[in-house]
Amino acid sequence: MSTATTPAPAAAAESRRNVARDLFSSDRPYGVLLALIALVVFFSIKSDVFFTSANLQNIGRQTTLVTIMAVGMTFVIIAAEIDLSVASILKLSCVSAALFMNDFSNNWFLGAMVGIAVGAFIGLVNGLLTTKLGIPSFLVTLGMLGVAKGIAFVITDTAPVLVDSRPFWAVFYEGSIAGIPVPILWTIVALIIGGVLLHFSTFGRKVYATGGNATAARYSGINTDRTKILCFVFTGVLAGLASLIFTAQGHAARPDFADGLELDVIAAVILGGTSLFGGRGSIIGTLIGSLIIGVLNNGLVLIGVSSSWQIAVKGFIIILAVALSKRS
Amino acid sequence: MTTAQPLVDLRDITVSFGAVKALRGVSFDLRPGEVHALLGQNGAGKSTLIKVLSGVNQRDGGTVLVHGKETNFKSAQDSRDSGIAMVYQDLSLVPSMSVASNLFLGREPHGGTKLVRNRSIVHAAQKYLTEQGFPIKASARVGALPFAYRQLTEIAKALMGDIRILVLDEPTSALSAGEEEILFKTVADVTKRGVGVIYVTHRLHEVFRISDRVSVLRDGLNVGTHNTSDITMEKLVSEIVGPGHERMAQATLSVEEGDRRSAFRNESSESSTHAPVIELRGVKNARLNGVDLKVRPGEILGLAGMVGSGRTEILETMFGLRRADEGEVLFEGKPVRWGSPNKAIAAGVALVPEDRHEQGLVLADTIAANIAMPRLPQLTRAGAFTKGEANRRAKKAVSDLNVRAPGIHTKLQNLSGGNQQKVVFGKWLTPEPKLLLLDEPSVGVDVGARDEIYGIIRGFARNGCAVVVVSSELVELTLLCDTLAVIHDGRVTTCVHTSEVEGEERLHHLVQEPAR
Ligand SMILES: Nc1ncnc2c1ncn2[C@@H]1O[C@H](COP(=O)(O)OP(=O)(O)OP(=O)(O)O)[C@@H](O)[C@H]1O
Ligand SMILES: [Mg+2]
Repeated sequence: MSTATTPAPAAAAESRRNVARDLFSSDRPYGVLLALIALVVFFSIKSDVFFTSANLQNIGRQTTLVTIMAVGMTFVIIAAEIDLSVASILKLSCVSAALFMNDFSNNWFLGAMVGIAVGAFIGLVNGLLTTKLGIPSFLVTLGMLGVAKGIAFVITDTAPVLVDSRPFWAVFYEGSIAGIPVPILWTIVALIIGGVLLHFSTFGRKVYATGGNATAARYSGINTDRTKILCFVFTGVLAGLASLIFTAQGHAARPDFADGLELDVIAAVILGGTSLFGGRGSIIGTLIGSLIIGVLNNGLVLIGVSSSWQIAVKGFIIILAVALSKRS
Repeated sequence: MTTAQPLVDLRDITVSFGAVKALRGVSFDLRPGEVHALLGQNGAGKSTLIKVLSGVNQRDGGTVLVHGKETNFKSAQDSRDSGIAMVYQDLSLVPSMSVASNLFLGREPHGGTKLVRNRSIVHAAQKYLTEQGFPIKASARVGALPFAYRQLTEIAKALMGDIRILVLDEPTSALSAGEEEILFKTVADVTKRGVGVIYVTHRLHEVFRISDRVSVLRDGLNVGTHNTSDITMEKLVSEIVGPGHERMAQATLSVEEGDRRSAFRNESSESSTHAPVIELRGVKNARLNGVDLKVRPGEILGLAGMVGSGRTEILETMFGLRRADEGEVLFEGKPVRWGSPNKAIAAGVALVPEDRHEQGLVLADTIAANIAMPRLPQLTRAGAFTKGEANRRAKKAVSDLNVRAPGIHTKLQNLSGGNQQKVVFGKWLTPEPKLLLLDEPSVGVDVGARDEIYGIIRGFARNGCAVVVVSSELVELTLLCDTLAVIHDGRVTTCVHTSEVEGEERLHHLVQEPAR
């Protein structure tokens, strides 16, 4: 082996660089990282409470839903597809889990499994319709946005469904391990699983190839349909997980919440440097993108921007951040 | 200045891409009415130089004079407005639109209103194509055309309008002799009108056929400009590859001089006793009308034929991209019905497709990632991608094929065209396939690399791999193959041993007028 002659420190540095390159998949989201730092500095100056550990934990908790779903969305978008139905999957998953726990068994674990299974199933349907019928995922998931939301309304009569299970609340929202609240731990779990899958597994290679050039991927023996379907299923599973956290937070599943959340999720992914055309992106980028969304949602409230202005300012800053990252 | 003022005068052009110095002070000029050939190895800087002229690439230093005036084009549109027409190495057509819409893209004729009239466009385009002798239907969708016809469409598009400078970057890489003639004729026509033509190619016989002057780039420097009549093929080759490397270009010299030296032939003849690796029996589908073919281990079979004759479709059927509606495909004696390439690849089949950008590569990905792509199942341990092994294979491919790149983590979009082609080939080097299907394997590949690719193909065959080659260059087929099958209209019309073919002429005949 020729590497035997390489001095050990150089080799170690090389492998460290390689890991860094894998994580960022050689598209460096430095531009948005700067934008995030700038926002944090700005809000810290403008508000005394912003940079306190209590508020930072707050941000973490508030960002949980967006970050977890954005991890799945990263896969879908790298595979050159889109999922507009994530917020509706969240609604249907959480009311399914809650109804199951009320009507069949109050076992928190079974309830959680039902929520996740519903998410996975909708993801599967999205994936099958997109690949096997060749309908663009934009249309499939736009339709699914309505279908899943509608069903969630019908089966609950649009009323919240209470969940009365201490262990459920504890596992998904109220507990903490070593002082870290569980929603943040769940976010970290989702990020790690997503990061390993995307950057270190063969499946990740297939996702990049499928999104980068589906024809060339097929000519290289990659089953692009299956790859895309798995991306949708993964997103569904993560939307299901997010729905459990959302339910535990309010002690109830609410079909009338989370409207428009898919836009925050997609914005987080794109802010993180993932290309809407597919083939490029990283999990670390998505984390940074989600944090920008979270910091904006939190900071704008703290400095007293009116809620109407918040929407406009958030939109403006998202455009600015993407423009910044394009230049660098 | 003694002669007429040059149309284009490039002086001391320098261009770098990050650490890569693509051009290190190149001067080049083009006179009215001449064809100036631009030659050089893959990555020498030919495409970069003409992209500086067209405004696609910005120069770091040097001056560009067009019609005697210093210019600074910022975009391709600027240069187009000064009468410069370009045919890029990698096609720039919109595949979802018709030939006519592509021809008129950006200059749609419209009546008083701003509305584009589709019918009149198709009509005008068809008239133009017929006049110029292009065998293309104006209403056809570009994405559905064979690759060579897309290349012709690109040429037709460049020739439209009032052009004064025509730049052709490897326009004939997929064309066979017949289609090449159409281009040569149009080039002769425009030069009579005083248009100057810059002609980039790796097919040296074309240089002697149509050019007046020739310039050679090596490693970003202009190493010589000559009148074509003053230079020989050997001297040209040695200038391209550099002193001391002439040996590398033996196969190219043979191809260019139409000479089939036995040293380059595959001498394994005992192959005929083995059972075939793949056999097609009366295979019919949308494009094939009953194909019977056998390829034995160690045999190199060439498929000759015109564009659209079904050569590519035969390879696609062997690779599982098309099914046999009738007849059967046998792999190692057993009937198979592969519905997708992954099954074929798992069985040991490899395909180097004809369109490297569409079918061969993920341009936004790295060399290592592209080379790993067809071998992912082997590069997986417990679900994890084994990066070390993938990198080792990529390094081997890069050095075996002499790919010029800063490293294996260079993105494909930053490689020159010929180096991209080498990577498409490099995807299949490890492990060796049992059946290697090659569709125009040496498109855009330079004189030295062609030898390396031929050597690897022969090495595979010696180890028992069956090889099927499609090439528009008949000499390449006679040089490389043991047997030749002539394809016409989706069936095999003639099958001959290469040794039985006397001269290229005869083969030419077979291809053009198939025996019944
Ligand atoms: N966008 C880019 N980024 C980085 N490097 C580039 C880029 N484009 C070209 N290069 C490098 O510049 C050099 C010259 O490339 P160029 O495409 O001009 O070669 P060429 O002579 O046209 O080769 P070929 O015969 O293969 O087409 C090569 O080393 C190539 O890798
Ligand atoms: Mg080139």
